[in-house]
Amino acid sequence: MAYSVLIVDDSPVMRTFIRRVLALSGFEVGECTEAGNGEEALAMLSTHQVDVILTDINMPRMNGEELLRRLEADGVLKKIPALVISTDATKERILRMLALGAEGYMSKPFTPESLREELERVLGDRNAGDRNATRA
Amino acid sequence: MREIEMQPELEQPEQQSPPEQQSPMDQVLQHVAAEVLETMFFTEAELADCEHTWLEAASSARIGFEGSHFGEMLFGLSAEAVDPIAASFLGLDPAELTVAQRGQVIQELTNILCGAMVSHLWPESRLSIASPELTSWQEWAAEGTLHRCFAIPEGRLAISIRLLPRPHPPGNES
Repeated sequence: MAYSVLIVDDSPVMRTFIRRVLALSGFEVGECTEAGNGEEALAMLSTHQVDVILTDINMPRMNGEELLRRLEADGVLKKIPALVISTDATKERILRMLALGAEGYMSKPFTPESLREELERVLGDRNAGDRNATRA
Repeated sequence: MREIEMQPELEQPEQQSPPEQQSPMDQVLQHVAAEVLETMFFTEAELADCEHTWLEAASSARIGFEGSHFGEMLFGLSAEAVDPIAASFLGLDPAELTVAQRGQVIQELTNILCGAMVSHLWPESRLSIASPELTSWQEWAAEGTLHRCFAIPEGRLAISIRLLPRPHPPGNES
C-alpha cells in the first residue's frame, strides 16, 4: 500500500531532503505534497487526502505546535497521524509535542531506515486503532 | 551597567587533547559532527589540525540558542566542499544547484549540528534555537570557545561553539 505524505517545513532544502530520505527508505509513498508552515498545511489538508503528516516545529506564521493543536481540534484531521521532525531532541520538547497530539518524534540526524520504522509504527498503531474502533 | 552571571561551563579547553582528557563538550562535538555528516550528508568527518587560511573563503553560518543555557555556534565549510555537500544532501547533480540552495544547505547543516549538540549536552534542558544566519567566518577569542576543525573527503569544515553570559532577568539590573 502506498501512503500519501504531507511534508511541512519552512526550509525548501529540508523538504527536498525528506523526500529523498523517504525514497531511500523503501517506504511506499504515493502522493507527496509540501507546505511551508502550519497555515499552508491546513489549506493543503482541505483539498488533499493525506495518510501521514511529517512536520517541523519552528516555522513562521503557524508553527508545528499550533498545527498540532488545530489538528487535534478537528474531528476529521485528528485522525491523520503526525510525526514531528526536529533538531531539538530535549525531553521537555519531545514530551510537549507528544502531549499536543504528535504520534511520533524524529530528531535530526536520522537515517532512512529509522524514518521508515517510525512511519510504519505510527501508521500501524493508527490502523490498529481504527480496526479496534470499528469492532467496538 | 548590566550584571551578568557567568555560566560554569564557559571555560573549555581550546587545544586538542587525548580522548581521555577531552571535556564532555569536546567529546559531544566530535561525536555529533561525525554522526550528522555520516547520517544526513553521506560523508565522513575526521578531526583535523586547525589551519585556517581556507576559512577566508569558507561558507559560514551562525546560530544562537537560549533558555537554560545561552550561547552560539559558528560553522564554516570550505569553498570546494559546498557543492558536493549540498548536492549530496539534496540528491542533485552539483550543476543543478542554485545559489539559494547552497546557502540553505549551509544553514540547515548548522541548524542540525547545533540542535544535536545542545540536545546531547543538556537533554533535560529547555532551549530555544534561533534561525541560522549566513555570515563570514569570525575568529572568536580562544578563551571560552571550543573550536574544532574536521577533514571530510570533499574538503574541510570548522565548528566553534561558545557559551555566553546569562543576563539577569529585568529588574535585577544595577
